[in-house]
Amino acid sequence: MYVYDTLDKSLLNQRVAEFRDQVRRRLAGELTEDQFKPLRLMNGLYLQLHAYMLRVAIPYGALSSDQMRKLAYIAETYDRGYGHFTTRQNIQYNWIELSTAPDLLFDLSEIDLHAIQTSGNCIRNVTADPYAGAAADELDDPRVWSEIIRQWSTFHPEFSYLPRKFKIAVTGSDADRAAIKFHDIGLKIIRSDAGELGFAVYVGGGQGRTPIVAPLINSFLPAKDLLRYLDAVLRIYNLHGRRDNIYKARIKILVKSLGVDSFASQVDTEFARLDPALFVIEDGELSRIRDMFAVSYSRAEGDDEARLEESPEMRRWSDSNTHAHKTPGYAIATISLKPIGGVPGDATAEQMYAIADLADRFSFGEVRVTYTQNLVLPHVRQADLFVLWSELERLGLATPNIGLATDIIACPGLDYCSLANARSIPISQRISERFSDLESQHDIGPLDIRISGCINACGHHHAGHIGILGVDKKGEERYQLTLGGQGNGESAVGKIVGPGFDEDGIVDAVENVISTYLNVRSAGEPFSETLERTGHAPFKERLYDRN
Amino acid sequence: MTVINIRGEAIDQTWRDVDGAGETDSLDSAVLSLTSLKEHIEALDQKSLSRIGARLTIDDNIKEVADSAKHLGLIELVFSHFKDGRPFSTAVMLRRDYGFKGELRASGDILPDQALFLIRCGFSTIAVPQQFSVEQFRAALSAYSVAYQAGSDDQLELVSDLRRSAVEVAAE
Ligand code: SF4
Repeated sequence: MYVYDTLDKSLLNQRVAEFRDQVRRRLAGELTEDQFKPLRLMNGLYLQLHAYMLRVAIPYGALSSDQMRKLAYIAETYDRGYGHFTTRQNIQYNWIELSTAPDLLFDLSEIDLHAIQTSGNCIRNVTADPYAGAAADELDDPRVWSEIIRQWSTFHPEFSYLPRKFKIAVTGSDADRAAIKFHDIGLKIIRSDAGELGFAVYVGGGQGRTPIVAPLINSFLPAKDLLRYLDAVLRIYNLHGRRDNIYKARIKILVKSLGVDSFASQVDTEFARLDPALFVIEDGELSRIRDMFAVSYSRAEGDDEARLEESPEMRRWSDSNTHAHKTPGYAIATISLKPIGGVPGDATAEQMYAIADLADRFSFGEVRVTYTQNLVLPHVRQADLFVLWSELERLGLATPNIGLATDIIACPGLDYCSLANARSIPISQRISERFSDLESQHDIGPLDIRISGCINACGHHHAGHIGILGVDKKGEERYQLTLGGQGNGESAVGKIVGPGFDEDGIVDAVENVISTYLNVRSAGEPFSETLERTGHAPFKERLYDRN
Repeated sequence: MTVINIRGEAIDQTWRDVDGAGETDSLDSAVLSLTSLKEHIEALDQKSLSRIGARLTIDDNIKEVADSAKHLGLIELVFSHFKDGRPFSTAVMLRRDYGFKGELRASGDILPDQALFLIRCGFSTIAVPQQFSVEQFRAALSAYSVAYQAGSDDQLELVSDLRRSAVEVAAE
């Protein structure tokens, strides 16, 4: 894990003091709400429907067990005993008071946590593959590069008042568990033919009103040039991104209007002009960071095969909730925050404390947050899986549904969010209940259902195999259905199937889509491939022609 | 209006607003709009340019006077709204690309909380908006002591330099 040194800490402490003063000035009337708003937003504080919401950064989704305990403590002390893990690999607290927010941030800072740049028109918290440093299919650890980017982007003097928010994601593997092509900049770690480490750079992806899969603008950027290149991209965007229309302000619109080639060549020109000396990533610094992420695996003897046979429940959990680790004898275990009928991504303080303890016992004190709103114990000895599973089972955290129909992504929607058109959470709960049968979930196979309460698409509905979007139709909550999106690996934007549904209708519609799939699939064919083969037609027919 | 330097101290104002006045010989210490600057630019040599200032609004393009820009005595970039951060980049470009060494002033709609970013992007003076006090700006300028990124200034110590010297000290 990256641990703050005294320099990181002093910057963080200075921020805490600065924010305390900003809140004091606001409460004293020295700052208007209009002036205070961008300042509080840069500290992750939103004004929502019922209260302030605070979004805490979890850099590249990686937490230590002590940090997890602190998040639990915050939930108990400043919120109503729970927190909500989001599709940005962050955690949000929904019931925060402005007057105690400075104390909250002070408490977080004691364990190197903060809410810096989790909102506002700045470079947001960097996200990365939640299996970083553990996945068997990884070329290099994306956390190392994410940490370099975290430092470069923190309190960036030039890029803190951009046209719009700016999100960067890094992956080190083909499976792309960070959905990098749906980010303003997506970085994929690659090696050149000569063996040099670098990045494929995708710019201008995003969801929202205009979903775009980011085009490749640089097929090989040497790793040493990373910050210089990012600087060039950000400067072009800061100067030329649109500021007249909030819906056209993201970099994706700039890339689209200039054209990929012209945008890329502007970046190249800017890049060539920049003095490399200002952007050096020193070897010493790289290895300092890299060393902190290193884990010393003990030799893992034996595995759990024997006990797996004894427990079909455990076998099912291990089938869906564990993943291949790069080290023999180890596994990556995912803790589902999607219990049947639960609120996706919610965790109580007690659960967070318990997970922190499990991380200490079984995973070198490390926990990860996935953008699909689950938690991961990245380094578990296979020999410990059975005990881990039993403990999770006891805590109600062993739902064996990762990647399956009830592993639904949902944004907070109208239950919390001031921008929402419709509720997302209750819809996900009802779908989850409808498909609660584990046998049939495992039979349906990999299926990605995602729900957003409005076109801002925080629930990533465009990228779900089945996407649901809440819309407002003459004051009524309606739901639009999209099919064919793809979040991981090869990204794709789903297409709307037809007219929307009401609350009951959308749950039935999802069931109809799934039963159509079960009818038309060939043996062993996952949902996304069936859909690709058949197109929308059989689904449409079932959804609209029969009533 | 009070103008402060990078330490947050009020400085004497020698520049005068004469925009609209057309006489080239009365341009000493004058701050001109981009339009008037362009009108006069042919007639001005390096020395007279150094006694002239230019005031650029948010949509003005400095490239229009690219060749002369670096000789100007003052360039003032006016923030139309504190959320529009284009002048931060313009300032960086003026210092790094154009080699501008004169006074670079930020004015218009600015928050004290932006003061340090302004200085780090190469601004050397700030016109304090009416509604804020010099003290507020001065306090904001000393809110941080270190920075992660190299700036166009040497206001703050850099984390990378400090880390490197810590390693060197440890090695001795
Ligand atoms: S998608 Fe819309 S409703 Fe859902 S959290 Fe985002 S802004 Fe709110």
